[in-house]
Amino acid sequence: MTRWLRHVALLVALAGVGSCAVQPSPVEQGPQAPTGLAPGVTLYFLDDGDLVPQERQTRRLGSMQEAVSLLLTGPGGSGLATGIAEVAVHTTHVTVGEDVIDVRLPLPTGDVTSDGVDQIVCTVLATHVQAGGSPEMQVRLTFTDVPATNSNPLTEPRTCPLL
Amino acid sequence: MTSVLLIEDDPLVRRSLELALGRYGYTMITAATGENGLSRFTEEAPDIVVLDLMLPGIDGFEVCRRLRLDSQAPIIMLTARTDDLDVVGGLEAGADDYVVKPVQPAVLDARIRAVLRRAVSDLDGVRSHGSLRIDTESLTVTLGGAPVPMTPTELRLLLTLSRSPGRVFSRQQLLEEVWGHGYLGDSRLVDNGIMRLRAKIEDDPAHPEYVQTVRGFGYRFGPV
Amino acid sequence: MFVLIAVLGASAAAWAGAQYASRALTDSSQQQHADALVAQVTAAAPTVEYPPSRDALDQLRAAVGPHALAVYQDAQSASGIFIAQDGLITSDLRDAVANATAPGGTFTQRVMVEDTPWVVIGAPVMLTAPDGTRSPSGVEVYRAQDLSPVDADIDALTRAAIGTSALVLPVAVLLALLASRTVLAPVRRLRTTARRLADGDLNARTHPRGVDELAQLTSTVNEMAESLQQSMVSMARIQDDARRFAADVSHELRTPLSTLTAAVEVLDDAFQHRSAPHPGTDASTSTDTDAAQESARMALVETRRLVRLVEDIMEIARFDAGTAAMRLEPTDLLALARDCVRSRGWTQDVTLTSPEGADLVVQADRRRLDVVLANLVGNARRHGAPPVRIAFSAAPDAVEVTVADSGPGIGEDVLPRIFTRFYKADAARTRSHGSGLGLAIAWENTALHGGSLTAANTPDGGAQFTMWLPRAGSTPEGEER
Repeated sequence: MTRWLRHVALLVALAGVGSCAVQPSPVEQGPQAPTGLAPGVTLYFLDDGDLVPQERQTRRLGSMQEAVSLLLTGPGGSGLATGIAEVAVHTTHVTVGEDVIDVRLPLPTGDVTSDGVDQIVCTVLATHVQAGGSPEMQVRLTFTDVPATNSNPLTEPRTCPLL
Repeated sequence: MTSVLLIEDDPLVRRSLELALGRYGYTMITAATGENGLSRFTEEAPDIVVLDLMLPGIDGFEVCRRLRLDSQAPIIMLTARTDDLDVVGGLEAGADDYVVKPVQPAVLDARIRAVLRRAVSDLDGVRSHGSLRIDTESLTVTLGGAPVPMTPTELRLLLTLSRSPGRVFSRQQLLEEVWGHGYLGDSRLVDNGIMRLRAKIEDDPAHPEYVQTVRGFGYRFGPV
Repeated sequence: MFVLIAVLGASAAAWAGAQYASRALTDSSQQQHADALVAQVTAAAPTVEYPPSRDALDQLRAAVGPHALAVYQDAQSASGIFIAQDGLITSDLRDAVANATAPGGTFTQRVMVEDTPWVVIGAPVMLTAPDGTRSPSGVEVYRAQDLSPVDADIDALTRAAIGTSALVLPVAVLLALLASRTVLAPVRRLRTTARRLADGDLNARTHPRGVDELAQLTSTVNEMAESLQQSMVSMARIQDDARRFAADVSHELRTPLSTLTAAVEVLDDAFQHRSAPHPGTDASTSTDTDAAQESARMALVETRRLVRLVEDIMEIARFDAGTAAMRLEPTDLLALARDCVRSRGWTQDVTLTSPEGADLVVQADRRRLDVVLANLVGNARRHGAPPVRIAFSAAPDAVEVTVADSGPGIGEDVLPRIFTRFYKADAARTRSHGSGLGLAIAWENTALHGGSLTAANTPDGGAQFTMWLPRAGSTPEGEER
């Protein structure tokens, strides 16, 4: 019997000493690589009524908020048009929810055309995707004069018709 | 001519020994049983008896004892075994010597002659030790004036020992001198001979006066 | 056995559990660090210039953690262990990261740095177009993480496993023991019986219980023991019979041998005497007579040999039967040896030496010791060469007698068997000599005295037999015989 007990002790000792500790390994695959680098930000304007991307060489991707603010400053001297009225205040608030990105615009509904709405949605989504976000995300816009409800077609979550 | 009474029950052994010993010049008398042997002894008065111990009817020991009652004739036993009580029993019954079967006739002849050998007549006349008187010429022994009957072997033993009083004889020496054994002597012959001798000459054989035992060596004649 | 198996099982389970847990712990830790890298880089990247300047790389690297490396083309920014350890990133890992294609992935590898486990996670930073297509940016980031805490966790886990095992094992053992008591006890009993049988206890039996295979096996073992016992008994009887047979045969041989001995001597003697007094016989008769005479001589010689053999076999049979009678008396060995040598006419060949005034008296059977000495000296004269030296030495409680010859000695292969019955060292020469029992008889006779007889070779090469005899004479075993 003592012999068996010795065997037991030996096994337990082996289990303890044995290969439970962290061992070196070969190269293993991990999660998807990071992203988010970009030479600039992509904004959407209107070219003869069509939605087109315009890349601004900002040397970095920047945030969605920055992208929308930049969009609100207009197409500049590029010859493209915009469906968003010029405003003095460009500050917007972007909140990323579970499957919806809430963008609170410093504009009343009257200052943004339906094309303008697409411009904003596409710009937000493009930046989101470029920063590694999911393309399945929807964007909900909030205007200064309309509370965010699902009943208003303007404030429904939307997707970018181009992406 | 020396006459030998051979008492042996096996006919072939008896006949072959008869033939063989006959060639040595003995007159052979044979008997197949103890009873027959005793009667032949009385009738023929042989010089010596060669006696098989294992006999039907009266066995060899009994024959030996009866012979010794009124005879000093030498007796040689034929025994089948060396080690057991046969030998001792035979010697105690009065046999002078024994041979083990199968025996070479030459050996038996030598034994017979040795046993029959007359004690050498020493010319020193009479040896007196206390009440013991040994006449070395007439070869007679008297104890307190009474004659002591002795077998030739006993007489030779006494004469040998008394020739050199105080000298220690080893058993082997006595075997050679008294029994004529060339080799492989059985010291029981000596011890038994001494015992029988003491029985005849000592007042108290347990505290012998004439024949002393020397522990580990043998015997000597003379006071302690 | 049951207990062992139970213990093995429990231990293996504990071990496997600990293994699995430690693997999971390691993997999850690795995963966690990789996710963190991706999250941190992804979070930081939009604010980082591209193509990255030196500052941008620093920025990325800083975002990754204390042990980080950011690489873009020839530029790199390192911190922590990446500065201290050059070889932290294996070529395998670097290649995997550099050659990553869309959509790109991270790569991890565990390495040991000075006995400390580290995980290194490398990843290319990807460029993503607005439509979601990805392409390598040429920027690589690495992150290293010390896994010692994980190791510690694993240790704790293992200790917990051991602790649990230690708690559970006795219970397992106890259960196994209980099981074995009921299931294995009959096997154990059977084994004990078998062991006792093997040790010679032929009375050992196991009572069979139940009706299973084990009970059948038990019955079989019992039967085997039974038949073994019977054969042993009959074997002992056969052995007894064989001994008695040897004695009886020898004894029965005496009568015909007596006749034969006497008859061949007459025959031989007759031819000896006849050959001389008849010189005038013709050639053929003479040849006939010569042949008959030679035959008679051979018959005589062989009969004597036969007689000697029978004598020796009888003697051996008495030793075996334990009926050899001892007649002990105080015996001076020097005197005995002198008589033995002189009575056989060997005085010329034998020298006797004994220490001055030594007490050489022992309790002994003179006839038997005479036989021993005669056999030893006879053997020395036959197989060795004269002079034969008999020497004595006395101790307080024993006397030693050595018989040495001046011959070639005893072969090393022969020595161990020299006292074996009928063993003859040189088969070719022994035909005309002893029975082959002489030394065996000498040995038995010495043993009967409680002494010992050994054979060896002297430094000069001769054979030497040493008889050691206790003064007290026979041992209790000896007296029994």
